[in-house]
Amino acid sequence: MGGAGPLRAIPCSDTVKVTVLYFARSAELAGLRTETISVPQQITSLQLWREIVKRHSRLADIEDQVVFAICQEYVPLGDQQFILHTGDEVAIIPPLSGG
Amino acid sequence: LVDHDVVELNNLHRQVLHRESRLGRSKAHSAAAALKELNSAGRYVPYELVLSPTTALELVRAYDIVADCSDNVPTRYLVNDACVLAGKPLVSASALRLEGQLTVYNFQGGPCYRCLFPKPPPPETVTNCADGGVLGVVPGILGSLQALEVLKIASGMGSSVSRSMLLFDALEGRFRHIKLRPRDPKCAVCGDRPSLTTLQDYEIFCGSSATDKCRRLCLLSSEERISVEEYRKILDSQIAHVLVDVRPLVEVEICCLPKSLHVPLNKLERKDEKCLKSLYQKIHEEKQKAGGSMVFPVYVVCKLGNDSQKAVRILQELPYDELGLISIKDIKGGLMAWADKIDQEFPQY
Repeated sequence: MGGAGPLRAIPCSDTVKVTVLYFARSAELAGLRTETISVPQQITSLQLWREIVKRHSRLADIEDQVVFAICQEYVPLGDQQFILHTGDEVAIIPPLSGG
Repeated sequence: LVDHDVVELNNLHRQVLHRESRLGRSKAHSAAAALKELNSAGRYVPYELVLSPTTALELVRAYDIVADCSDNVPTRYLVNDACVLAGKPLVSASALRLEGQLTVYNFQGGPCYRCLFPKPPPPETVTNCADGGVLGVVPGILGSLQALEVLKIASGMGSSVSRSMLLFDALEGRFRHIKLRPRDPKCAVCGDRPSLTTLQDYEIFCGSSATDKCRRLCLLSSEERISVEEYRKILDSQIAHVLVDVRPLVEVEICCLPKSLHVPLNKLERKDEKCLKSLYQKIHEEKQKAGGSMVFPVYVVCKLGNDSQKAVRILQELPYDELGLISIKDIKGGLMAWADKIDQEFPQY
């Protein structure tokens, strides 16, 4: 997936710093547009989403209506494992409907 | 060009085909006239009608490419489903405040709108341009990019935003590309075994109306609301109370009612400690002054009476142990109703 690298033998307890970008409604709910958070290097997309919701509980309201992207690539919220690297970008993108 | 609406002054900053000279005229005809002025060789066909489940499919079938420039969630699902059923690519652009999004749906194995967003958002979580505002240049930029994709598809060059979403951030002046999923084989409309084979009622599906005119949210019961006339009586008879204004600061700076306490809704939603503390303190002070052991009234106001309802729900769930009994209601129609019915001098925005 995107910039997430191949699986290597790394202890699961390692953490990395990723940048979370909040767009549209998610920026309102989180109260900020970007932040850097520490997360386990090896993580599923759903675990990563929950880490973010733990910090901003109101994001739970839009769980069903976001494009969740790791390294500029859509990922479904589920059990798929990712190996993250420091500096990787995670984006939360609710749809805009105005025009 | 499909639009049922008429040109209003507050459209002109973002809907750049219209002119002051065409205020009150049909938008479909106004847009066609503007395009004809630019280039009389093109054929512009105005449809002055509401795109509805009964009209959409026939219309979409008559054209090769559809551009969604609509302003509300039900219409976005309706246009998507019509395009899937008619087998047409959908070039979809949207904007709000300082952000824009562009994607081509239902094209060359890419997803449709429903593949990405199978469930519509709860209506109270949606902000439209009429309500939230948009910097007029942003839809102009997205509209130009949208026209570019239409021309690329029409001329057989393909599209660079099929299976991809282009995000525009006007504040940073930055574009980002997000790679999207392919078509979802389980999608309700474009999947391998679709459950939707005809158009449905999208206003029911989305729980909101197919317009960007400001919605009337109905979260509270009538006992939890008061009218602007009732609030005026409360002011006139100097009944002790606290008025909480939950609008964003920029709006409060335009105008506000005297003695209102500003607690923006987004801070309430986050249970911002500083804000809650100032609210508790204000209630405490006013209650002390009133001196009674009565149920102390707190009124909540916003611009139109939607956000104030959400705020009442949040405030009702807070603990008020030391403050005694509190009743929390909102003011129906908000400050714009106040400007309309009570104080004609009050700024309307």
